[in-house]
Amino acid sequence: MRAILHVVEHDFQNFFRYKWWLAGLISMNLADLFIMALVYNQMVHPDIARQIVSYFSFFAPGVTVIGLFASAYMIGREINMEVRREIHHYMLSLPITRLELAIGRLLAGGLRGMMYMSPLLLTTFLILGFPTVPQLFVILGALFLLATGISGLSIATAVSTTSLEKFITARGLVYYVLFFCSSIFYPLSLIQTLGQEGIMPQPIVVLAELNPLSSGTDLIRSFLMGTPTFSFYMIRNLVIFSAIFTTTAMFAYMKIIERR
Amino acid sequence: MPIIRTIGLTKRYEDLVAVDQLNLSIEEGEIFGLLGPNGAGKTTTVLMLSTVVKPTEGTAFVGEQDIKKNPDDVRKLIGICFQEPKILWVSTPWDVLNWHAKVCGLSTAERKKRVKQVLEDVNMWDSRQKNVHGLSGGMRKRVEISKVLIQRPRIAFIDEPTAQIDVVGKHKIWNMIRELRDEGSTIILATNELHEADMLSDRVAIMHKGKLLVCDTPKTLKDGILGGDMVEIRLEKEVTQKSLEELKNFREVVDVIAVNPNNLRVYLNKVEEVVPQIMKLFLKKHLPISSINMSEPSLDDVFVHYTGLTIEEAEHKSPSRWKH
Repeated sequence: MRAILHVVEHDFQNFFRYKWWLAGLISMNLADLFIMALVYNQMVHPDIARQIVSYFSFFAPGVTVIGLFASAYMIGREINMEVRREIHHYMLSLPITRLELAIGRLLAGGLRGMMYMSPLLLTTFLILGFPTVPQLFVILGALFLLATGISGLSIATAVSTTSLEKFITARGLVYYVLFFCSSIFYPLSLIQTLGQEGIMPQPIVVLAELNPLSSGTDLIRSFLMGTPTFSFYMIRNLVIFSAIFTTTAMFAYMKIIERR
Repeated sequence: MPIIRTIGLTKRYEDLVAVDQLNLSIEEGEIFGLLGPNGAGKTTTVLMLSTVVKPTEGTAFVGEQDIKKNPDDVRKLIGICFQEPKILWVSTPWDVLNWHAKVCGLSTAERKKRVKQVLEDVNMWDSRQKNVHGLSGGMRKRVEISKVLIQRPRIAFIDEPTAQIDVVGKHKIWNMIRELRDEGSTIILATNELHEADMLSDRVAIMHKGKLLVCDTPKTLKDGILGGDMVEIRLEKEVTQKSLEELKNFREVVDVIAVNPNNLRVYLNKVEEVVPQIMKLFLKKHLPISSINMSEPSLDDVFVHYTGLTIEEAEHKSPSRWKH
């Protein structure tokens, strides 16, 4: 347990060293909310606007999840850099078991995401109102599952890609697929309607439904806005996503990294 | 009972055999030099012994623990100073070393004391809060070696400890390595600097193309080169043919070259034992000696003796698997 905490401490220390990266990310998230969302607010079709209160309110939980995703994914960038510079040899030589090391890095990635996301979530609460205490615990638990899943996804990508270019390409692909095939920017009900009308390809509709970012975003919306309705499928999606990618990341970190 | 024992230790990377059937025994408390040019397999050996990479064949026992079966127990015994400093560039020397000491189980008070002491000893105290990317190569290397000096592990692997470090710094680090040994650590020193290995090692193993060529004390290895010692004698008179013949008849003398009639170059073994006899011979022959210079073979000569190449030539011919 102590070794895991040391690894988490290591990764937290490094997270706060990337001050400019964090400043850029915060600026981007705030611009998303206070420029893009405010402008879109005036552009949204009145029929849709009636469903979502306002685009600004609708998008606030989405920005929280985007911030969580980007900051939790950052652990992969660091691990990829360590592998390229062979710094992972140092980590592998320490008196820590491979399992402790993998768990520590996975947790650190998730916790960093939670820490970065906290002020964005608070802003969302200020805009949409505060949840009840049980709802707050469900939101935090669900977002933690999402954060560790994202951390796992990024670690698995980082140790499986041999160069920075490949890692950045993989990251871009993951970002765009998960961001845009989700309910972050538009209601899931709208995507489903477009799918039924044949305007949206069915695989994208299915992806948006299964996407953990949709589940995380809609879970916050369900408690704070009342729409969409809360469903245990949201939790189920997050548990499955987290289980798959934490397991994959631990296997990848423990097995693949030793071969480098 | 040796503290490290390798049994047919082998590492292959696709077609390249980086380490080939290595059989070694390292005794507790010694400084053991692993010598060879870049690409000889020293670093790969260190990485296998420290459980960072897995052997393809064979195994090793480190502190009685099998590196394949009990790697977690092996890592509790060891500390490594890597050839290339393994430090994130956004860190500071203080944070790197403080965290390393914490992971290695040092108490808060002991940690702070040792980190401060070692940073002062390696002249890095004033730079302790600078970002690593702002440090020179030599400074980064000093931070890297500080890890083992703070940790004081039972077994320390030190790979090229003085690469990129100035002459004064080298001597300081050599003394610190000796002190580490005197405090009870066994030290495995991987280096391509033959002089460094000669200065520090109790025993050396010479590796070339992944194979172990020879392993013994530096003195035994140097004495093992026939005619490796050289004596240059200047005489006040011209040497006679008879004296020259008598000189050649010494059992330890391998060859005598008359550079000119007053100047002889003698290749021999056990120079310290034979020189008094040579002086006696010339005195008996009424050939006064004006000067005498002795030189012993170095480990460079030993390397040439076993490989037919200088270490620089061997480096040019070695395959390099490392990507940077």
